[in-house]
Amino acid sequence: MAHRPLAPKALPMTPTALITDLLAFMQAQNPSDDAFNQLALRLFEHQYRLNLPFQRFCQQRGKTVRSVKTWRDIPAVPINGFKALTLSCVAPTDAERVFMTSGTTQGDVKGRHYHPTLAVYDESMRLNFAQRFMAGCQKIRMGILFPTEVLLQNSSLAHYLALAVQEFGTPESHYLLTQAGLDSDRLMAELTRAEQTGEPYALLGTSYSFVHLLDELQRLDKSFVLPKGSRLLDTGGFKGQSREVSMEDFYNQLSSALGIDCADCINMYGMTELSTQFYDAGNATLPSVKSGPHWIKTRVVDPLSGHDVPAGMQGVLSHCDLGNFNSVTTLLTEDVGVVVEAGFLLLGRVQGSAAKGCSLAVEEFLNAARP
Amino acid sequence: MTTVRETAGYLPGLPAHEVQWQTLCFTRRGDTLEVNVPLLSEAQTVALSHRVKMASQSYLKTLSVTQIVAIVDQAIARLLDPQDPYRQKMDRLLPWVTGYDDDMVRLGLTGYLKTFRQPQLQRFLVEDFGNPLLLDAFQPRAKGGFSKAFGMDLAVHVWAGNVPGLPLWSLISGLLVKSGTIGKVASAEPLMAGWFAQLLAEIDPKLADCLAVVWWKGGDTERERTTFAQADLVLAYGGNATLAQIRQQVPASTRFLPFGHKLSFGMVAASALDVRKALKTAKEAAYDVMRYDQQGCYSPQIFYVARGGKVTPEVFTRYLAHELACFETKYPRRALDLQEATSLAAWRQAEEFKALAQPGSTVVLGDGRWTVVYHDALQALSLSALNRSVQVIAVEHLAQVLPLLASHRAFLQTVGVAAAPHELFALAEGLGQAGVTRISAIGQMTAPEAGWHHDGRFSLLDLTQMVDIEASAEAASELLAAYVD
Repeated sequence: MAHRPLAPKALPMTPTALITDLLAFMQAQNPSDDAFNQLALRLFEHQYRLNLPFQRFCQQRGKTVRSVKTWRDIPAVPINGFKALTLSCVAPTDAERVFMTSGTTQGDVKGRHYHPTLAVYDESMRLNFAQRFMAGCQKIRMGILFPTEVLLQNSSLAHYLALAVQEFGTPESHYLLTQAGLDSDRLMAELTRAEQTGEPYALLGTSYSFVHLLDELQRLDKSFVLPKGSRLLDTGGFKGQSREVSMEDFYNQLSSALGIDCADCINMYGMTELSTQFYDAGNATLPSVKSGPHWIKTRVVDPLSGHDVPAGMQGVLSHCDLGNFNSVTTLLTEDVGVVVEAGFLLLGRVQGSAAKGCSLAVEEFLNAARP
Repeated sequence: MTTVRETAGYLPGLPAHEVQWQTLCFTRRGDTLEVNVPLLSEAQTVALSHRVKMASQSYLKTLSVTQIVAIVDQAIARLLDPQDPYRQKMDRLLPWVTGYDDDMVRLGLTGYLKTFRQPQLQRFLVEDFGNPLLLDAFQPRAKGGFSKAFGMDLAVHVWAGNVPGLPLWSLISGLLVKSGTIGKVASAEPLMAGWFAQLLAEIDPKLADCLAVVWWKGGDTERERTTFAQADLVLAYGGNATLAQIRQQVPASTRFLPFGHKLSFGMVAASALDVRKALKTAKEAAYDVMRYDQQGCYSPQIFYVARGGKVTPEVFTRYLAHELACFETKYPRRALDLQEATSLAAWRQAEEFKALAQPGSTVVLGDGRWTVVYHDALQALSLSALNRSVQVIAVEHLAQVLPLLASHRAFLQTVGVAAAPHELFALAEGLGQAGVTRISAIGQMTAPEAGWHHDGRFSLLDLTQMVDIEASAEAASELLAAYVD
């Protein structure tokens, strides 16, 4: 679907006050639910007013500024909305950065997330990462199993990892993924060095890059016992990859190959369409509980009605991320989850359903149409 | 929170305690129905097949078709009686198993069972055979000679899906042609066929061994191969992937009759679009959408509506939406599981985004319990997400739709038409060429008439083998008569 250009008139930049208040809210210690709600409603009004495709989406759902009384009333935009619509309060050309989805599920159309400034994204990442991954540590030597931000300018993950290196990595931190693939020599050197010096080491990358790493260690018949304080961060899971690995095997193998306790293997759940990430507190028990900071709230909903599912039932995750000040705060994912006490369990993507009757279903129809 | 137990299947000659059973669970509003389904060993399958074949030869084939019709008619009469214990079990448990609304199932069953009463069965027979006595004895043929239609000793039917009662079509067809039948029920609705077999055996105990109802999990190639190896004919319902898989397990020389998933739609001509007629048509269209939540192969997924009537296609869409909202109150849609809800939500969202990108040209109505999407311009054939989701597409002339069907021939089935007689017949010609096999009134799309040609085929004839005594044999025999001069 074509991207609709925004109205030609110059759109105002995001009011500084809004961003200032947002940053202050992020930095606050345990702000009240009411404060969250107030800010969510302010952002909703801002987005409703300045983003016409979003305004029409709300109207289609019968929601207006008047009828949205709490953050829960804000219509959740399905993540495909980032592909079909231009969800931005500023002209796309005024965005400091555009993050794009990898575009594997809906032809070649990529979802676009416009950031007029990265100040909010970066602050969200920093505050959260410091607390959930660094856990009190100031700096750590990092190896990144992902391409650089220069190579992947529109990848939110590339930016996230670059920020991790910049803010929390020692100067010796480095990238281990080159255009030729995994830099095996450097990796072995780093792991050996960490083992010998006792300096904690962190590896960060996509879940699948860790599978390559495990393959490589197996090929070389090597294993390490990294010093205490070392940790791993993986993200993305295995959806759509040529090989699927059970999470249990994955963390057990990582733990035995690198000598890092499963409790120090952190999984990050993030999306291009969000400005805030979720983390677990290690993967010693699976599935691990994911949670985010106070400026993001998650509901588990029935995808059709948008209502919360009864406690303990599976539903689709819907996030309200105040970090999304320019796009839409509230979105509907395609991820299945269930609410638990300290957050939610992420149970993977929604799978297609088999036909119940004998009426032709979309999937079979499309399969037949493929050459 | 109660738990009810029920046993599926019908296994003449196999003592229950010798059979391995598996349990399928169906929950509804906190209550659980546990259905035990049989899982036969290879030896049991062979023994059962043998028993059915023998009984088919020694008893079923000695009955006249009139006698069989009378037995089926008695069974149907029992099931049409609301006080009958089998019928009460159906009314109580089928909604539980399938999730459909109680009243929808009850009314649907009654309407459906009526197509198997004696007069309807006679029509059914005449439709396929002209002279149903062909099933009883060699009958003279216009070309010369004599012919008789023989049913198979053993036909295996693989049923699919959760539309209540669907297995009865092929089960009764098999009986009418005096074919021994083993039916395999679907996990989505494992009960009805077994009950019907038990009822038949109650009415005529000698029929007891002529049919059997079994179960295995779809894709169990080992059991499929074992069972199909015993069969003279295999008939199967399912999606293309399932049918392709089943076909691989059927011996090359065994006749295989596949019935795939189908696409059906409606067409409304301008002549049906004055205010009074449009309201009626919209109500009937909504009825076809509501019935079994569009899970039938004959359920409409799209309505093409012509411009030029007093009621515009867009207004017709609003009528249709109103009627669907009314039906939702009267016969609520069954509860969807998360996967189904997600598929439907994804389809709705995609349509909503179209509506946002092209305001006015696409309109999405409904709240997720039902959905009507209006498109004001013709577009490539695309399906709805079922479960009460339907598209209305405005066209200048209904004939404009025909070229869109070209590459989807294999999937086409029913078209509900609301149009004047000359339009109906002109359209029917084009639709038939495109691959459509059934044209009905809107409102009747989900209730095929007795004797219909399912997917363009002969429901009874295809289950038989015609044996000819050619004129030459008759003439030659004359010379060998004792009384020849």
